[in-house]
Amino acid sequence: MRVHPLTGLAVAGSTAVITTAAASLPLSLAVVAAALGVSGVTGTLRRLLPAAAAVLVPLAMSLLMVHGLAFPEGSTVLAAWGPARITSEGLAFAAERASLLSAVVLVLLAWSFTVSIPDLVAVLSSRGVRGRLGFVAASTLTLLPAIADRAVRIRQAQESRGLVVRRGLLHKVAAFRLQAVPLVLSLVDDAGTRAAALEARGFSSTGPRTNYRVVPDPAGQRLLRAVLVLAAAAAVAARLWPAGTGG
Amino acid sequence: MSSSSLTLPSPAPAAARRRRLLEILGALAIAGTYVYLVLNQPADITGGPGSVPALIALSGFLLGAVLLIVAVLPTLPASTVVLIPVALVLNIVLGQFVGSTLVPFYLDAIGTVLIAVLAGPAAGAATGALSSIVWSFFNPTVLPFAAGAALIGCLAGLAARYGLFRRFYLAPVAGFVTGIIGGVVSAPVAAFVFGGTSGVATGAIVSAFRSMGDSLLAAITKQALISDPMDKAIVFTAVAVLVYALPRRTRLQFPFVRRHRVLAGRAAEPEASVQETAAPNAPQVP
Amino acid sequence: MAEQNRPALAAGIRHFAFHDGGAPVLGGVDVAFAPGTLTAILGTSGSGKSTLGRLLAGWLPPGVSGSLAGYLELAGTRLEFSGSGADPRIDPAQWGRHVGFVPQDPAAVLSTVKATVAEELVFGLENAGADRAAMQAAVEHMSGLLGLRELLERDPSRLSGGQLRRLAIGCAIITRPHVLVMDEPFASLDAAGAAELAALVRNLVQEGTAVVILSQAAEQPLLDADTWIVLADGTVRASGTPAELKAAGKVPDALCRGASQAAPGAGVSRVRVGAVPALELRDVSFGYQPEASRPGSGPFRRRQQSPASRDGRPDVLQNVNLAVHPGQIVALTGPNGAGKSTLLRHLNGLLRPGSGSVLVGGADISGVPVGVTAASVGVLFQHPRDQLFERTVQREVAFGLDRIFPRDEVGERAQAALAAVNLAAAAGEHPAELSASRQRLLALATVLARRPSVLALDEPTVALDGAGLQLLDSAVRSAAEEGAAVVLVTHDLVYARTAAHRILALEGGRLTER
Repeated sequence: MRVHPLTGLAVAGSTAVITTAAASLPLSLAVVAAALGVSGVTGTLRRLLPAAAAVLVPLAMSLLMVHGLAFPEGSTVLAAWGPARITSEGLAFAAERASLLSAVVLVLLAWSFTVSIPDLVAVLSSRGVRGRLGFVAASTLTLLPAIADRAVRIRQAQESRGLVVRRGLLHKVAAFRLQAVPLVLSLVDDAGTRAAALEARGFSSTGPRTNYRVVPDPAGQRLLRAVLVLAAAAAVAARLWPAGTGG
Repeated sequence: MSSSSLTLPSPAPAAARRRRLLEILGALAIAGTYVYLVLNQPADITGGPGSVPALIALSGFLLGAVLLIVAVLPTLPASTVVLIPVALVLNIVLGQFVGSTLVPFYLDAIGTVLIAVLAGPAAGAATGALSSIVWSFFNPTVLPFAAGAALIGCLAGLAARYGLFRRFYLAPVAGFVTGIIGGVVSAPVAAFVFGGTSGVATGAIVSAFRSMGDSLLAAITKQALISDPMDKAIVFTAVAVLVYALPRRTRLQFPFVRRHRVLAGRAAEPEASVQETAAPNAPQVP
Repeated sequence: MAEQNRPALAAGIRHFAFHDGGAPVLGGVDVAFAPGTLTAILGTSGSGKSTLGRLLAGWLPPGVSGSLAGYLELAGTRLEFSGSGADPRIDPAQWGRHVGFVPQDPAAVLSTVKATVAEELVFGLENAGADRAAMQAAVEHMSGLLGLRELLERDPSRLSGGQLRRLAIGCAIITRPHVLVMDEPFASLDAAGAAELAALVRNLVQEGTAVVILSQAAEQPLLDADTWIVLADGTVRASGTPAELKAAGKVPDALCRGASQAAPGAGVSRVRVGAVPALELRDVSFGYQPEASRPGSGPFRRRQQSPASRDGRPDVLQNVNLAVHPGQIVALTGPNGAGKSTLLRHLNGLLRPGSGSVLVGGADISGVPVGVTAASVGVLFQHPRDQLFERTVQREVAFGLDRIFPRDEVGERAQAALAAVNLAAAAGEHPAELSASRQRLLALATVLARRPSVLALDEPTVALDGAGLQLLDSAVRSAAEEGAAVVLVTHDLVYARTAAHRILALEGGRLTER
């Protein structure tokens, strides 16, 4: 079955919200396992893992450092060197936070690695905010590798003119200027041409617009999305309600 | 075919009012969330899982950022909308380049500030928020910082609007002040949503403040006050270097730059200066 | 559509200036284009023809992009502009339905949000709210007309230059405009591509479209145009049928490319064979890494740009041997994608051979940083914009010279290099504001100023107008006379024959003598 891009987003988003609201270690770990499982089934695991690790490893290290070494509220001291004290409360807090964040990051990444970008753009392409949001997102994803390539090309052109990036902060700052200036200039120029071309093709038209690409959206998936959004809202409300009444 | 079909009508004032209302609501959501979190923070971090402030920080800041986007994005001209993806990529590409050379900073706002200087505070705010939202596609942890990024874009635009980019030495000062405000506003997100910071170096600083007995929010705010102002001062300076390197026609194609005389150099209203020839260049850029 | 006697599009431009406080770029321009005609607007680089084209096409809406005094007339509606705030504001979308425009760089028109060529084509129809059946019919018709049928499911960002140009034309005419304006459509097309485009133009003219082509050379396909308009310094210098203008001698030499060039081999410098070759390639082989082994970049692998899909193909370069002596000019030709640019990048070490070695002045450059090799090997790339970064032309040429020459010689050498390409008068201008032709000459000057012993030029003739071509030619010859070894990569065989001692073709990874 082809999953509608917004259904995928609703699944990932509501799971992230509910996990955050519940803030329970077992649920977080279950969500981590589920996200990895889905990613494995869809064959995106090999790309997902490095991307997730790049985000989560420094985050987890930082949490461990902050709460493991210094948790003034903790009372069960496991070890202490001068001002640094390792407390079990601090470690528990770090573990709980790290697993929660891992769950949220993995479930959202699992969606972004499996979603079909063209389908997503087709779904978002309408006038007003949605269309422009879709444009900005899709255009960024297209331009990212193209601009990275252009940056490489510019660096090569300048090395060919005798630019040698030497050690030292000043040299690097100078090299940054030499390479960023032509990059930004050509990007601003191209954006001007692209804006004129898009305008001429009706980018800012206010009338109705249609879609060439057909993205099937069965009633079942629409219902599922509604249920998921309600569930997420309910989870947030359930967490905030006692906080609001009970202080 | 009548002439009206080839030309545009004048903009309706009602749309402008609705947009202003959404902008104010967005700003209120962000400010209200911040005030609530600061006033209510001490009780919650120690006991329990602490998910209530996390949820409030997330929903309040995200709601504000989304309202700002809804208010601003449809009103921007296509020439600015097309620049936003370029700015987002610059945030990433230039941020990576500088990030790999000047280690202690993140420098992930160069594109946002560039748009703000060329197209104004509203465009800057939308770009900042969109940057976080699109970037979260492959790093979901930046999503909660959308409001802070919008604030940076808005403040950069205001700095440009009031002439702080006309003098080269004022740009880093404006960046420094923007960094203070942005850092303070983003601290609750780091504290309540993440319970720490996203990097090891910044984590060490927070850890040091915590071991002196600070609350988590206080420690992270102090850490932000150490890194953010310097970071934004560098970003603003980099953007000033870039915009002054742009040729005159490219710079002055942006109505915001012309109307508020954002950059140093002769005023260039077309009526006034058709006869003049060679353009004197920007002030000395190091 | 319109009656035969009424122009589909007309303009009377008293003056048009950008909002940069500079002098007007257009003035005294009165043009009209009748349905079913072909008009060529001829002008050298910097004559204002691109600005005129954009103005006609609604890509520079008066008031928004600049201030116009004059009128534009489209589909029977005349809009008067005085340059004040009360002027009418053009709706670019409506204008675009009547006038299609194809800019010089077709890649810049891509929406960047569409995944396939078919979707890119119908973007304009989607925005106009066309129904799906109409869109499918239009895709079918356009792809047949433009020869894009095989490419409909391809990613637009991966098309070749010629394919991109056809797609850009398709995007401009899918809404069936009455007028089509194209900026330098024949530049960088090979002979076959140019013939296809000329046939398409004839087709459109027969269907009643007014086609306007902006060009800096009176190229073959423009000879049967109904009208030529000669533009210089932003104003119309002459107009009439090609025969009238030629008879009256009103077509400047600079617009007739190739006509005034020297005969083959004339005046080429003497080659000093016998000494160590200035440049030598020994058994150089090179193949691109298969794409899968490149580091991934997040979820966006789909669009990753790399020397695409060479898996399993033979190496781009196979045992290439080449020796170029001081004073010798070697031209390197071959079809697009044969690996000419790849070979060029080996000459200064931007690419390192998989096997074999590259020697400059007898010394192997493997392990030498590119920036160091650059002192003896000067490379001019296809996109001069990438190489320019300073605020003035003078600073651009002087950049880095102080590391090679004594400080008191720098100014003199910079001046001499600028004079050699006739840019001495432009020393204070911003490089990015020069015309495309002069940007290329400036990039050439920055290379020449360093007095390299090897000069390597990638497609140096593209975007040069007639005057620029002569300057290039004389600069290359004098560099060779002073003892530089020159390698020209070009698809322009005419130029290669006049300029070079030796012509080599790169095909299937091997070099053969022509």
